[in-house]
Amino acid sequence: MADNSLAIAPVFSLGPLDITSTVVTSWVITAALALFGWLVSRRLQPDPGPLQTAIEGIVLAIEDAVTEVAPQYVSQLLPFVGSLWIFLVIANLVGLVPGFNSPTRDLSATAALASLVFLSTHWFGIRIRGFRGYLRHYLTPSPILLPFNLISEITRTVALAVRLFGNMMSLEMAALLILMVAGFLAPVPILMLHIIEALVQAYIFGMLALIYVAGGIQSQH
Amino acid sequence: MELSWSTFILEIINFLVLVWVLKHFFYRPVLDVITRRRREVEKTMTDAKALEEQAEQLKQQYEGRVAEWKEERQQARDALSRELETERTRRLKVLQQELEQTRARAQATEESRLAVATRAIEASALEQGARFATRILEQAAGPELESRLIDLFLDQLSQLPDEKLEGLRRQQASEPTRISVITAYPVPEQLRTSLTQSLMAVSGADQPPDFETNPDLIAGIEVTLGAWKLAANVRDELKGFRGFEHHV
Repeated sequence: MADNSLAIAPVFSLGPLDITSTVVTSWVITAALALFGWLVSRRLQPDPGPLQTAIEGIVLAIEDAVTEVAPQYVSQLLPFVGSLWIFLVIANLVGLVPGFNSPTRDLSATAALASLVFLSTHWFGIRIRGFRGYLRHYLTPSPILLPFNLISEITRTVALAVRLFGNMMSLEMAALLILMVAGFLAPVPILMLHIIEALVQAYIFGMLALIYVAGGIQSQH
Repeated sequence: MELSWSTFILEIINFLVLVWVLKHFFYRPVLDVITRRRREVEKTMTDAKALEEQAEQLKQQYEGRVAEWKEERQQARDALSRELETERTRRLKVLQQELEQTRARAQATEESRLAVATRAIEASALEQGARFATRILEQAAGPELESRLIDLFLDQLSQLPDEKLEGLRRQQASEPTRISVITAYPVPEQLRTSLTQSLMAVSGADQPPDFETNPDLIAGIEVTLGAWKLAANVRDELKGFRGFEHHV
């Protein structure tokens, strides 16, 4: 996990599956979030303390964002979109911790998340509008646009994966190059830029995912 | 930049697990707490609104009661004013009646006092007049005055009403008595004869009268015929004058 190179080497193998540092870090993040969520949910009080207030603020911010885009489907979309935002913020920032690499610097991870967004768009669209109703939106506003709609589905998913991967990988590469060229403390400004970029990329990915899913649900509304 | 299918699949599974875990152990409890708090806030707001409405109703009731109290107070004040005015009018009327009665009593008392004083003055004047007349007549009286009084007596005697004359005659017929003639001075003979004839003619007596003198008469004549007494003298006139004083 403490590998400073950009290569994603398997840490160990589990049968036919190669377990890379990306997967291990994702497991750690998932375990940490699950433990944190479990601990927090046990200590929720009607009169909230500072930590609970912050947590409720985060959840309400996510809920408000979903409400602004798809006000009728908040309860269905909030877990998926909120998890994307929370996971990506932590996954983007975890690279700043010595010994950890951001899972989002791995195209396999960002492709997996983008694929989930692609599948979720169809899942929520078919679940809410029905199979025929959902497929009909590919023919709108004109059946002539069907090929373009199909291409758009693929390209935006690829763009979603590559955008996040490229930004996070380039940030780490720039920091590594500056460290190699200039010395120990020189990459600090780049690391500060890393924080902003990590938050911005997480927001962009989650918001685009929300818009795609909401678009699949509400294209005819 | 190679795409690792192992990583791809494991990341998908990992994220789905994360979504499930966060949905059940994070979002749902937190949203439940927020929902409960919102309900409590809404309930508190509803209760506060209900309390506010209740307070508004109480305020309106209070203002209504205050207005009613003010109206009742005004009515009571008006009633008291009317009662005071009525009582004042009644007492003023009673006072005026008492004042009128007192004034009437005072006026009656004053009139009585004036009447008494007037009577006293009149009585005193009559008394003084009687005394004066008595003194004058006592000094001025004499046979001439007596002769004129006897003439006057004779004239009056001749003018007596018939019923009186009839009464005298009936008495004299049923109970014959002597006629007594009293004068202050001795009666001259001629006048005595005229008197005798006139008295006997009037009374129907068959006896001549008895003549006497009494200086108390001052001047004049007094004739007694049984129960009848005929007089024309100064003493009786002065007595009548004094009697008029008592009559007044």
